[in-house]
Amino acid sequence: MANKSDSAISRREFARRAAFVSAAASLAPSNLLEAESIPVRQPAQQPANGPKLSPEGQAEVESRIQSIFAQYGSRLSDAQKADIRRLSTEAQLPLDRLRAFATENGDGPGLYLKPLLEREKKPSPKSAMPRPATAPKNP
Amino acid sequence: MPGEEIFYLSVSELAKRIESKKLSPVDLTHAYLDRSQKFGSRFNAYALLTPEIALEQAQAAEKEIQHGHYRGPLHGIPYAAKDLLAVKGLPTTWGAKPYANQVFDYNATVIDHLNSVGAVMLGKASMIELAGGMGYRFASASLQGEAKNPWDTTCWTCGSSSGSGAIVAAGLAAFAIGTETWGSIICPSAYCGVSGLRPTYGRVSRYGAMALAPSMDKIGPMARSAEDCARIFAAIAGHDPKDRGTVPIDKGAFTYSPSMELHPRPLKVGWLTNAWKSLEPGIAKPVEAATRILKRYFSSVKEVALPVGPWEEAGGIIVAVECAASFRPLIRSGRVSELTDPLGQLAGYVNEQYSAADYLQALKIREIAQKKMDSLFETFDVLAAASQPVPATPLPLNLETGLVFPDPLGALGNICGLPALSVPCGFADKNLPVGLQFVGRAGDDFAVIQAGRTFQSHTDWHKNHPKIH
Repeated sequence: MANKSDSAISRREFARRAAFVSAAASLAPSNLLEAESIPVRQPAQQPANGPKLSPEGQAEVESRIQSIFAQYGSRLSDAQKADIRRLSTEAQLPLDRLRAFATENGDGPGLYLKPLLEREKKPSPKSAMPRPATAPKNP
Repeated sequence: MPGEEIFYLSVSELAKRIESKKLSPVDLTHAYLDRSQKFGSRFNAYALLTPEIALEQAQAAEKEIQHGHYRGPLHGIPYAAKDLLAVKGLPTTWGAKPYANQVFDYNATVIDHLNSVGAVMLGKASMIELAGGMGYRFASASLQGEAKNPWDTTCWTCGSSSGSGAIVAAGLAAFAIGTETWGSIICPSAYCGVSGLRPTYGRVSRYGAMALAPSMDKIGPMARSAEDCARIFAAIAGHDPKDRGTVPIDKGAFTYSPSMELHPRPLKVGWLTNAWKSLEPGIAKPVEAATRILKRYFSSVKEVALPVGPWEEAGGIIVAVECAASFRPLIRSGRVSELTDPLGQLAGYVNEQYSAADYLQALKIREIAQKKMDSLFETFDVLAAASQPVPATPLPLNLETGLVFPDPLGALGNICGLPALSVPCGFADKNLPVGLQFVGRAGDDFAVIQAGRTFQSHTDWHKNHPKIH
């Protein structure tokens, strides 16, 4: 299996996945992040059973959490806040793996139909008929 | 009135009887409606039954057929539509309390297509709220409650096309329409022992369907066989100017007839060695037997590994960001708290925080994944693996902690928009169904259908059904 256990994403369609995939704080409204009324937690608060994060990762998690609490905190119970803290923390390692994957400056964003469209100029395998033995390979 | 066996006949067989006027669409619809009214609530299978519409459509079909105007293999065939497809004038709840009273004044394109071929809509199938896009922890994450598996009502159907799976498995309709953004056709098909087709992204219009992650949402059939899926897919596929995500006209349409099987192309199968980390013993045995069928009846079967990369991470981010955008008003208004599931009430807040740079990194990774997968299909016509590594799970299971395993094939298949078909291939312990999936190149839906047809022509697992009393 290619995936190591420590990189396994919880599996249940979007269930946990959708919750896991969390955010960097760069889109958080700056006025909220700067609001004086927001208590800023120290970035060393790692949940006891949570993933081991770098200081930078933990700081990023904390920033996201505070952004959420600043915007929506009044709606959330303490239990829900704890859940958000956990979800945000657990999202960090997948995010780190995503960012660590090497992409080039020229790599384009994957438009979902691109492989199909790229083949428009090439022989298509869509026919129900048998392929000839010498069927050209796509370069 | 038709007997019990009629409920498990394939669309193809029902069509033969209807075309030859040996079976009345009205009688068939009455029978399915009675059965759905009797058993639907047992499985929480329906969001809504629509007997008046069904009987009106059935009577129209019968009249046309009697006058010699037979529209084709879906004419007079009863089906259920997942409750995220708009049907004019009816509630379309998306399985979620905040949308419980939502009514559209137009039909989804899929519904219009099915109307045009004379299919008969029995009702709307229940589903996981918002198709699971906001996350969910329990099978009960639905306006209709937990969907119970007809093979064992203490187990789940899987989601999010949960009602669609239950309806087909319990013989409450001849087929159902499901949707998949990530796993929502393949998993319920496997858990419920039915055949389910996830078409290539863009082959079926999503106009009038709830948007979850627009760059990954797909609509497809769940039915009794690969052939039935092909017939239904042929009816609903095609370019739609109202859905800019649909593929161009010349690539959208799909035609199918059994005569296409007369000269099948020899299929080269890539058996995936790393689709799942491990299979439960009850799954492994029937899957192993299925590989023997493949080796015997397919052109070639060779082991191959999926490319390694952060595909799940990329797919997860794409779903999360697009879902947060799709449901921004729900999140921002606070009405997200009306969702049933405790995780669904919160995940939107977390997902909303994503950065544009991370989303674009995920899209870049998607393109790399697409190229890698496309190159695999230079060698293989279809890839194959178990549909799921476990059988249907107990209803009360906490999915967040109790069902944890990597799913690179689900990630790659869905971020790359690849077609897939799940077919039954046996039973695990406690008589729970096991599924085998075929995944094809983008646009080559026929390959996965042909693979399923070939497999089902040499097995009869798809003809099994649970005993419903």
